[in-house]
Amino acid sequence: MNNNTLISFDNVSVSFWQNNMGIHSIKDLITNRKNPFSNKTILKNISFEVKRGECMGILGRNGSGKSTLLRTIAGLIKPQEGVMTINGSFAPILAIGAGLELELSGYENMNLLLSLYGKARKSEDAIQSIIDFSELSDDVLRMPAKRYSSGMLARLAFSISVANDADILIIDEVLAVGDQGFQTKCMKKIYQVKEEGKTILFVSHFPDDVMRICDTAILLENGVISHRGEAKVICEQYKNLF
Amino acid sequence: MQNITRIYALSKRNVILRYKNSAVGFLWGFFKPLLYLLILIVVFSQVSNIDNYVLYATSGLIFWFFFANVTNQSIASIISSAGIIKSLNVPIVFFPLSEILSELFNFMLTIVVFMVAMNWCGIVYSWKLFLILPAAVLFSFFTLGITLILSSLNVFFRDVGILWTTVQPALFYLTPIAYPEALITKHYGFIVKFNPIYYYIKLGRIIIHDTTFPSAALWLHCVIIAVISFSLGFLIFNKLKNQFISSI
Repeated sequence: MNNNTLISFDNVSVSFWQNNMGIHSIKDLITNRKNPFSNKTILKNISFEVKRGECMGILGRNGSGKSTLLRTIAGLIKPQEGVMTINGSFAPILAIGAGLELELSGYENMNLLLSLYGKARKSEDAIQSIIDFSELSDDVLRMPAKRYSSGMLARLAFSISVANDADILIIDEVLAVGDQGFQTKCMKKIYQVKEEGKTILFVSHFPDDVMRICDTAILLENGVISHRGEAKVICEQYKNLF
Repeated sequence: MQNITRIYALSKRNVILRYKNSAVGFLWGFFKPLLYLLILIVVFSQVSNIDNYVLYATSGLIFWFFFANVTNQSIASIISSAGIIKSLNVPIVFFPLSEILSELFNFMLTIVVFMVAMNWCGIVYSWKLFLILPAAVLFSFFTLGITLILSSLNVFFRDVGILWTTVQPALFYLTPIAYPEALITKHYGFIVKFNPIYYYIKLGRIIIHDTTFPSAALWLHCVIIAVISFSLGFLIFNKLKNQFISSI
């Protein structure tokens, strides 16, 4: 692999424990006589590469392993098999609502996520850019996030994601609930991020969006990459699934 | 350095979340043991013949409340942070760790407030009181170990959390906090001997209430228990941590 490759997966498999016994198994777990969990494979033999500045779409049915793949790339899940190389930093994955603390206000959420991301120093700029981009008013940002509409949550989540200026931006269906204006704004921002030479991983159920933004794409089916290639071709394949 | 900011941010979040919509906020850290103390005084002070019962009970209570608060709050710390764990690459151990640190801060404040208040109850101010610091550090390591075990098992079996709320009062009454030690050692000495919390309560009490210094043997007991608890907790946590994300 050369310097231009940001993400490279070589035969990566991810499996989870699945609890299929129930409550009375604490004892079994401790004595280890019988493992109360069975292994369930979520991703099988995943291999792909993403180059710097590339934008890759990830398509697939619900439950095909898209989110698991994103979390594996972001280092949240350790793969059981295979080799995985990542050369870059990640913006937090903010799917709709996830990652935001609903009891905290908008401002508190920004501060928390920015410092967890490791941005204590120049967070003033980052906070201003989040406020500007999300177009949420001061009153709204003082409210606990649990009172936000799903569109407002998406605005906040996406704004925090892009404020981190990481090498790799992961977008997990965050755009679907924003209103027309915000969707257009997000698309513009995504293009801008792309211009800056950053890498984007884009999960969406709208092939048209994927075609517009992404260069390449992969199609996941039951945890396996069934198709991989140019975005246009893969989007056609995706449409054929249904 | 970056990790320190992260733990600090999480601790701050814990404090904000805990006292959201609460009128007196962090003062509860002080009022809770105080209310308990009043109950204990009403119930026990007549039957026990300890001199300076208030100081006796207080010294045990503040240590006990540290333990109880930390375990109660952090037992669900991994589950309740699912959103962050699923979106950001933060070491998961930070979640129980931040709980214990914010509570340790609370504990120190409570101790200072009580020390001042105990002026009226005949506390002897001396350099000996500074031994609270190493005692608190040892107790924290012990508590951290227990916390790691409870919070990581609770991810897979939510019963652990429910069970713990019932086990806790039993632990409280099996530890000589409210009554004199001799009351339980007469018939059930083995219970006290195998109760790890007892050693820390005793250490705290000797420092605050008694006129003597804690013995070397007692310190050694506390160190050994802390090491065992911490390493066991760390071991279990490490073995399970890669599977957390699938169960939260």
